[in-house]
Amino acid sequence: MAHLAHYREAHPLLFVVTHWINLIAMIVLIVTGFSIHFPFWPLFMGVARGMHVFFGFVLFLNCMFRVIAAFFVKTSPTGGTRKQVKDYKTWLPQKDNRHQALEWVKYYLFLRKTHPLGAKLGVPQKLSYLLIPLLIVLMFWTGLCLWAPTMNLGAMWATTTFLGGLMSVRIIHYFLMYVFIVFMFIHVYLANVEGFAPTALMFIHKEHGGLVYDPDAHNIVGEDNIKH
Amino acid sequence: MTRSVIDPITRIEGHLRVEMEVTNGKVSDAWVSGGCFRGMEMVVEGRTPEDAAQIVQRICGVCPVSHSHASTIAAEKSYGITISNNARIIRNLIEGAQFLHSNILWFYNLAALDYVNPLNALNANVADVYDLAATYYNTNEGEAITSTNTDFVALKEKLTKFAANGQLSIFSGNWFDADEGTAYKLTPELDLVCTAHYLEALKMQARSSEVAALLGGKMPHVMTIIPGGTAFVPTEQKLDDLKAMVDEIYNWVSTTMIQDTLALAPAYQDGLNWGKGCGRYIAWGVFEGQGWPYGDDYIEQMKNRYMPMAVLDENLKVSDVEESLITEFMGHSWYKGSDTFTSPYFTTEPEFTEYNVEDRYSWVKCPAYDGKPMEAGSLARILAAYQRKVPFIVKHVDEFLVKLGAALGLPGAAPLSAAQSTLGRTAIRQVETLYVATLMKEWVVELMEAVKSGDSEYFRKSQTITGEGTGFWEAPRGALYHSEKVKDGKIEGYQIIIPSTWNLAPMNADGVHGPLEQALIGIPVEDVEKPINALRTVHSFDPCTACAVHVTEPATGKSFETVTSPWGVK
Amino acid sequence: MENQATISEFDSILSSRGVTRRSFMKLCGAVAAAAGLSQLATPRVAQALEKSVIGATKGDLYPVIWIEGASCTGCTESFAQIESPDPATIVLDMISLNYSETLSAAAGHSMEEAKAQTIAAGDYILVYEGGVLEGFDYNTLRVAGETGNVALEEAAEHANAVVAIGSCAVNGGWMAAHPNPAGALGVQQYLQKVGITTPVINIPGCPVNPEWLMAVLVDVVLLKDPSLIKLNSFNMPEGMFGQSLHDNCERRGHFENGEFVYEFGSEEEAKGYCLYPLGCRGPQTKSNCGVVMWNNRRSWCVQAGSPCIGCCEANPNNPGQNWVEVNTPFYKRHRDLRVGGLVFQPGTVALAVTGLVAAALVVHGFGMKKTGRMDGGADFETIRKWDKAHPEQSIGTYADAEKGGPILDDDALYEANAGHARPVRGKIAADESADSADAEEN
Repeated sequence: MAHLAHYREAHPLLFVVTHWINLIAMIVLIVTGFSIHFPFWPLFMGVARGMHVFFGFVLFLNCMFRVIAAFFVKTSPTGGTRKQVKDYKTWLPQKDNRHQALEWVKYYLFLRKTHPLGAKLGVPQKLSYLLIPLLIVLMFWTGLCLWAPTMNLGAMWATTTFLGGLMSVRIIHYFLMYVFIVFMFIHVYLANVEGFAPTALMFIHKEHGGLVYDPDAHNIVGEDNIKH
Repeated sequence: MTRSVIDPITRIEGHLRVEMEVTNGKVSDAWVSGGCFRGMEMVVEGRTPEDAAQIVQRICGVCPVSHSHASTIAAEKSYGITISNNARIIRNLIEGAQFLHSNILWFYNLAALDYVNPLNALNANVADVYDLAATYYNTNEGEAITSTNTDFVALKEKLTKFAANGQLSIFSGNWFDADEGTAYKLTPELDLVCTAHYLEALKMQARSSEVAALLGGKMPHVMTIIPGGTAFVPTEQKLDDLKAMVDEIYNWVSTTMIQDTLALAPAYQDGLNWGKGCGRYIAWGVFEGQGWPYGDDYIEQMKNRYMPMAVLDENLKVSDVEESLITEFMGHSWYKGSDTFTSPYFTTEPEFTEYNVEDRYSWVKCPAYDGKPMEAGSLARILAAYQRKVPFIVKHVDEFLVKLGAALGLPGAAPLSAAQSTLGRTAIRQVETLYVATLMKEWVVELMEAVKSGDSEYFRKSQTITGEGTGFWEAPRGALYHSEKVKDGKIEGYQIIIPSTWNLAPMNADGVHGPLEQALIGIPVEDVEKPINALRTVHSFDPCTACAVHVTEPATGKSFETVTSPWGVK
Repeated sequence: MENQATISEFDSILSSRGVTRRSFMKLCGAVAAAAGLSQLATPRVAQALEKSVIGATKGDLYPVIWIEGASCTGCTESFAQIESPDPATIVLDMISLNYSETLSAAAGHSMEEAKAQTIAAGDYILVYEGGVLEGFDYNTLRVAGETGNVALEEAAEHANAVVAIGSCAVNGGWMAAHPNPAGALGVQQYLQKVGITTPVINIPGCPVNPEWLMAVLVDVVLLKDPSLIKLNSFNMPEGMFGQSLHDNCERRGHFENGEFVYEFGSEEEAKGYCLYPLGCRGPQTKSNCGVVMWNNRRSWCVQAGSPCIGCCEANPNNPGQNWVEVNTPFYKRHRDLRVGGLVFQPGTVALAVTGLVAAALVVHGFGMKKTGRMDGGADFETIRKWDKAHPEQSIGTYADAEKGGPILDDDALYEANAGHARPVRGKIAADESADSADAEEN
């Protein structure tokens, strides 16, 4: 029993929903994207293109909503506590994370044997989540540069020109998909490698007992044995 | 001694300068300079053979099909692919369409303005023009012998209106007054007929390109000749369009070109006395033959082409090509060093010094076969086919020589050697045009039969992506050679020797002039400002300098250092 | 001739009345000669010629200088394939093509004279075909004893507009592809470099489609004002290069249906299915090829069975973004990327990186398993390493509830916080001391 307790306050219902939407949209986008890149399943092409465009908008809008919501919705800044702060704070580096980033890296490289404290998701993970909205925006933007109805709009065309033409945009769009895939691999791996409790919490909002952490004192202050 | 310079030479493809020394009214020395370097081989380096087949066409907008074809053959030889029979016929048709296009364009729209003065046609009596058209090379009484599709009255009106406006357009700076007005010798009536045919030819060359476009997507720069066969798969509608267009071109060619040539010849008979060139010829052969496939025997394949391969010496004795006898010398060209390189993959590095006829004076390299300069082109092909006894060529060349003898008032047929001159080279090409037009009709039927019989194979995928191969082929301008070395699907070495490289070659290591330079020496020049006979001789070779200038193997010299980024050269 | 049918119909009418066509036409000719129509013209030409080699400097025809830079003549060739109007009508009734290396009757010295006189007379447009070459101090292109850029500058400076035709003239075309051996670039960029401000109209394509050039020429000749042509930010006519080829493709229906050609010469090819899987560049190439088609609207690349290879891709300000560099290998979805001497397909690299990450995660998973972290992870640190080393700057309170001060002993702190003794696993205890040793070293 060495992990922190998983409380719903870490992932309020709203964010469980947005996470679900992200998951579905990304998977649909990746599958349809591959299909558009090379029509391995030809009859799917027409549907794939429609879905790709639709879910592109869904992912982008969901991302925008999620980012805005972060300024209004409170969440726990770390596991093991029911205390909450505005969600955006849990994204951005906080005092609690100071000097811990490298410790997390060391932990995952087996250079240290104990779990470092601080941050809901581990500090490097948290930083990588900061990049995801940027990635989604970039993906959306390059997608619009490639989509016929929008490709000629001033800003899109300027972007295309800046990037070196539609072929470049296409390659960047394709490369970024792999960034998503790599991110998902790592994300899924890290979320589940020490147990499925975080996933259960994120997907079905199921709590799980563990150590109690005090984000103000910055240390473990007890243990919560939720029966399950 | 005076210098006479023609720069730019017009009505050719590319940039060409001819400098001549004139002594006692005759050219005593000559230097031909190709004026543009673009570096094709370096660009295809590192790309795929399929890409190369598309890119190398851009060497020349007049004969793109031949380059695409030669490159494709090189790739197929590298990969060991033998194309299907359907692909062979379709590719022959595309190549043939380009030959027709090129030959028609060259004769009427490029070379003819050395002989025909459309402004003089303003003085024609149109009624006499109709008589002339009916009798100007008289065989069958009472029938128009040359094409009279054009309304000569309307044409004269058109020219009159043009002249009344006073702006000269493409006739600006013309040489019609060269040699104190004696250079252009046709009657106004014949000038009008030929002007009409100039305009008809513009349409017919376009129609020929249209055939190439039907099969190749567009022309110039066709799309469907690809290593492994062709991307074109015929449909019923395409086939009947094809037949109609090919018939139309044949009808026009067969009623116009040889007739006009014979009508022009008497006025310019002195053109038989000069312009011979080096007198040795090469033809690598073009249009794959009916006995397809020939297995691994490349020589057999080349000998069986409709226009067969042959190397001809001074006595027109035939031998087969040996690749290792092809060399290139750089000593008078703007490339580093003065070595002679043996085929394939010579390493050269461009280096401009200065224009100096005593030293280096051209971007064209100097190729040699067995150490000697060689002439390539339609004349070379016809001589090769004649010596190899291709029935159509033997029959029609003999017939042509009889008619030429009659037209010139010679006692009998003109000798074959008459073809080895400025006028002869210009004239004999029409026989080839007729041959190709005839073949096109045959191929259309052959293709239709093949399709109807259920043969639907157009493309064969390669089983390997590494190898080496050479495409021996012909452009309308002559022997064309593409050679490539491919490793893991990427080109490691690429070498092109183009007909005009042979014809426009500068001096070789022994100081022997290239074929065109040799042809120019001895030509009478009355007017050093407008040396019309020299121009006629240059045009008889149908030069193509953009083709002629290129470089092999990537040079790693300083001049080529480029900043690269993932997005390419900035 | 397309009027042959009419002629032969007419012939049959004539012959039914016992008149041959030739004799009828001859009669027409005799009538015209009697009316003295053409006799007027000859003296005017002679008169004009005395003054200049280009004839009258002003007239009904719009003067045009057509310079071939580093070109393959393909664009001139393409122009010669135009059907309506046909090229003869264009050069006799519409423009005065005073300088064209391929079509002019003149050659050499008098050719250059014609150009000089046209420039002096002014009010002309310059059509420029082929690339501008900077290699070897511009000596990679030599014309009339000079380097090629000289002719361009002279003619461009006084022109009403410069029409750069073909991808080579727009940005160097294939010549600018790696390693750009001759130093090719486009007309617009070159003129900018030397400070010539004449407006440039770019019409890409390899070669240019004559319909595009004609549309621009008709605008200029009829409207007399090149600035009326609506151009995009690349100075390309918007109507021709505003939409992707894919948008107007005749095979688009098959694309939407998911009917594709996966191999050349296949059954699908015979059915005219979409060439997208063979690397067709239609979706990313802006041109209306599928609408205007080529060679008397006979066909075009896709109709003939070949995927588009994107020959209209040309950024006039960047020779590196030329169509060959951007689109090779033509039959693959993506271009090759080039980093230094390395050439690779983006997809291969992406896949390799992804594979590597996946493999690393698997290996990592074994590590996690072996260190016993899979079941809930390792124990949490009780005191952060950094805090322990820097107690005075520590952000942790680690407070001892009774004494108030920080507890910097792991076991005591644990017990104080959790309410029971810290579970001791031999392994962890040893690790803790190893961690402490690290901290001391720091």
